[in-house]
Amino acid sequence: MNLEDHRTLFAVTTLGLVLIAALPTVSMVVSVPSGAERFSELWVLGPTHMAEGYPFNVRVGEQYRLFVGVGNHMGYSAYYVVYVKFRNQTQPLPDTLNAVPSPLPPLYEFRAFVVDGGTWEVQLTFIFLNVSRLGNSSFVSEMSINDVVISMDSSSGWDLENSGFYYQVFFELWLYDTSLQGFQYHNRFVGIWLNMTM
Amino acid sequence: MSKKAVWLSSMSVSRVFLILLVLFAFMTPVFVFKATATDGEDAASSAIKKAEEAMVLAYQAVLEAERAGANTSGLLNRLNVAGEYLARAHILYRVGDLDDAARFADLCFENAEKVKPEAEWLGNTARVESGVRLRFTMVGSVLSVCLIGVAGFLTWRVFKRRYYRRVMRMKPEVASDES
Repeated sequence: MNLEDHRTLFAVTTLGLVLIAALPTVSMVVSVPSGAERFSELWVLGPTHMAEGYPFNVRVGEQYRLFVGVGNHMGYSAYYVVYVKFRNQTQPLPDTLNAVPSPLPPLYEFRAFVVDGGTWEVQLTFIFLNVSRLGNSSFVSEMSINDVVISMDSSSGWDLENSGFYYQVFFELWLYDTSLQGFQYHNRFVGIWLNMTM
Repeated sequence: MSKKAVWLSSMSVSRVFLILLVLFAFMTPVFVFKATATDGEDAASSAIKKAEEAMVLAYQAVLEAERAGANTSGLLNRLNVAGEYLARAHILYRVGDLDDAARFADLCFENAEKVKPEAEWLGNTARVESGVRLRFTMVGSVLSVCLIGVAGFLTWRVFKRRYYRRVMRMKPEVASDES
């Protein structure tokens, strides 16, 4: 190795050490955006806090329990609303292709602030208080969700194929958008089917 | 006009008056109730709107504090409590329990109002702390860079001198070529 080679080695080593010394300051000033995907999770669990044992054959006066949860991976603390909606087989669900929520009115709602990377969960109990049957139709006119009595007007015809009066309780996730200054449907929904037994 | 006609005319006037009086007595509660209900609805609606605005302002202050590097988990927990009140207010408003809706909206407003200044204070503190940290880090980096530069230069000079000395001490040798 001649002197020129030694000089190059010295210069490269010194430059490397200088970069290492400057790294803490550079990392504080320059923020590199992470390429991680931004999304939220929405789930519903059964009464044993597992993805099993969901209520299905329901009747008037009995109490049923579910757990609803939200996971935040948006990169910031998010403000969510979870709307609880109720439908029969013919009423519309949210349109996932166009990110449009169901036009049905919410019966109940939850509001949650979830830190980035965190989760939030809540228990939901419901009881059907007033259900009637007329011919091949059943009518739900009153139910209680978390001890709030809600009057409603939902009916379902007899499903010949599956032998039952089917309804669905579903949950829509909405996210507060700071730039639009309002809640937007976050294109996430989850629900369970119920067979109303008389 | 005969006496009988006068009596009949006064009778019909008093009868009409009586009927109107009874009707008025029956209709008044309807109007009063409707007006009270509308007032209650307006009061609940405006309380909910006020609470919603307070929540959004508090949330934005918390987001700002978070961006400044503050730990906002405690504030988010408190906002969650306020959020429960607001959700309850909306639900009760929908089912027509206006008094309780307004009460829960007021509770939400009180909680959210307390969070906002704390979030702002936390954000400002985090900004000041991060400024001080940045200054310390910058000074440390500049000193380290200077130290490395000077040490590198001095080491290079010493190395170069030793290198020349070693080269000077070398004696040229003539290799024999006896073929």
